Amino acid sequence: MTPERRDTPGQTPDNVSTASRARDFFSVPAPVKRIFDRFPLVTYPSNDLPHSAWSDKRGNRLYVFTDAAGARRGRPSFNPQCLKWQAYLRFVGIDFDVIPSNNHASPSGALPFLIPAHPVNNNTPIPSSKLQKWAIEQVHCEEEQQLDLRFEVYASLLDHRIRNAWLYTLYLDPEEFAAVAKPLYVDPSSKNSAVRTALAVQLQQAARTEILKTSSYIDVGALEAEASDAFEALSTLLGDNLHFFDRPNPGLFDASVFAYTHLILDEELGWQRNRLGQLLRQHENLVQHRERLLKFF
Amino acid sequence: MVLELHVWGPAFSLPSIDAQCLAAIAYLSLTVPKDAWVLVASSDPSVSPTHELPALKNDSTWVSRFRNIVDYLRQYSNGDWDLDQNLSGLEKADNIAFSAFLESRAQSLLDLSLYVTSQNYYNSTSPSYGAILQWPNQWILPPKLHTAAKDRTEHLGLSSLDLEAIEEQRKREHSAAVAAGHIPKNLIPRPRDTVSALLGKTSQQNQFKLEGLTAELFEPLEEILGEKKYFLHTGEAGPTSLDCLALGYLSLALVPELPNSWLRDAMRSKAPQVTEYTERQRKNIFGIVEIEHALSADGAKRSSSILPWQAVQRARLATVGSTLYNTIADATPIWKDIRLNNRTKEALQESSELSGVERRAASMYTDAQTKDVWLSVGTVVAGVAALIGYMAFTTSQATEVYEDQVDEDEDDEPQFVLPDQPMQVGDMLAAL
Repeated sequence: MTPERRDTPGQTPDNVSTASRARDFFSVPAPVKRIFDRFPLVTYPSNDLPHSAWSDKRGNRLYVFTDAAGARRGRPSFNPQCLKWQAYLRFVGIDFDVIPSNNHASPSGALPFLIPAHPVNNNTPIPSSKLQKWAIEQVHCEEEQQLDLRFEVYASLLDHRIRNAWLYTLYLDPEEFAAVAKPLYVDPSSKNSAVRTALAVQLQQAARTEILKTSSYIDVGALEAEASDAFEALSTLLGDNLHFFDRPNPGLFDASVFAYTHLILDEELGWQRNRLGQLLRQHENLVQHRERLLKFF
Repeated sequence: MVLELHVWGPAFSLPSIDAQCLAAIAYLSLTVPKDAWVLVASSDPSVSPTHELPALKNDSTWVSRFRNIVDYLRQYSNGDWDLDQNLSGLEKADNIAFSAFLESRAQSLLDLSLYVTSQNYYNSTSPSYGAILQWPNQWILPPKLHTAAKDRTEHLGLSSLDLEAIEEQRKREHSAAVAAGHIPKNLIPRPRDTVSALLGKTSQQNQFKLEGLTAELFEPLEEILGEKKYFLHTGEAGPTSLDCLALGYLSLALVPELPNSWLRDAMRSKAPQVTEYTERQRKNIFGIVEIEHALSADGAKRSSSILPWQAVQRARLATVGSTLYNTIADATPIWKDIRLNNRTKEALQESSELSGVERRAASMYTDAQTKDVWLSVGTVVAGVAALIGYMAFTTSQATEVYEDQVDEDEDDEPQFVLPDQPMQVGDMLAAL
């Protein structure tokens, strides 16, 4: 072989490797191998342990979906489940710090959870299902479910009818998803557009699966009609009272209602069409109820 | 025009095996005159374009789901066939709230009792479906419903009622121990539990949870019913749509004779008045229904029931064909997604309450979804084509070089061979 022929592109110089490549389709091609030989390109120094402004806090710490600015000022979370417990603890008068977090940080896989201040060095988190029991032990408030038989019954309106309509509006309505859910849940997680797309698809798929559990197809009209019925029933239940079940102070049920009504009526989230908001504004007492409770924040 | 109500067929001496269907039957028999409607135990959701039962058919209009049927009957009769017209403010709110409460809580308890509890499913529910379904649905639908019920109740953490799940779990633990590798395989004891021992072990935990769940459902119902004749009204004002819905769910909890009857026992002990109410209403509205009432072609036999049964048409070849086609389509990964999106679209175009803008937005969304699916199909095809192309290319190149070295003089050979290769790749792409 002459040196000139060696330089001709597309021709492999080595006899042995040529013969073996002819035998095997799947051997690693030389250019790819050359690239892989250069790895690792750079080895970074190991990261420090996570440390943030709030890891020094010593009070009760409630981990919710929120942004850093909102956490500093204790603003309402943008997730209904988190907001419900945030509001409840606020209403019964327990002091706590809000810490921005996400599902991956939670031992149970779901937010919110709370790490209590006492006993010190106790790192056992309290999941949301046990928060009420913990709050009752702390401040000796009442367990409201026991006081009125309608508590559980009307709570099912929030947990199913309104929740399904909320899931549809936030995640499956394309305009609202792009305007509201994406900036809140997807964009803070990553700057990479491929990761963002994948996360967005996962979120929407999860919402769709959740709604399809109870019906064989998604009927938007029916979801909205059911939400409208639910608002009407809640409005009748509230009547002219300041709080649900005519209690002197707001409690768990008020927190559950507020969690949805506040977010549906919150214009700062950037709702586009906000069909649920239109339905909710027909009930003046629910709107006023939300405004009264917003003063706690 | 005679209204046709299509439902899941009778089981457990009730007119239907599904709670929503029972509720719809009760509602129609209380409102619509007996000669204005017929009951068809078609037991096949594909009869209706919405793929749901119960479905009400009037000429060419189909309405499915209990709530929509109630609304349709009110509009169709100009308010005559309506049980909820005399409700006051709080009663109306209670009607809505208790309906939502029943649909969520009672449905999950029925799922647990009839489907998730293995003994009940294999000894009662599954054979009942076998009796009312036609070939090939009797092989396709029950497993589907079984899985759906398991999915719906997963969050309650009661999968230990399900013997299959326990068996799987045990196999997983066993193989995990083997995989850990520290214990020789033959030394790991293989637990030989009998069915009763298995149930005995988990039954205390289950008992606590079920106790809580049934109390959550039955206590509010017992309290609101009280001494009254109906859930919301005392007597003369008559039943409401809530009574129909409650009858649907509660009769399915009370009536079936199941091997593991925890739901019925809980209902009898926690809610004696509701139990008595359910028995009374069931006798008045449903009577005792045998499968022959619904399915036999003999008119005399049918008329012995208090419900206006109409004989079911035998499945035609086209129906069977389309069922098989749908089943295969729903089991194929990418095809399934396309069909699911189309189903949402069909439903959207049908529902007339949506305003123009909303409908456009919604169908834009489903179109985009379909495009996404096609895009992924395209990507996969292109990827496969690229792989095949690469393989073809390396082979030919290797041969060229080989030839090149044999005949050292023929330097131009590669230039002649190479242009052919892209053509081959193009052919493959076209073929795909």
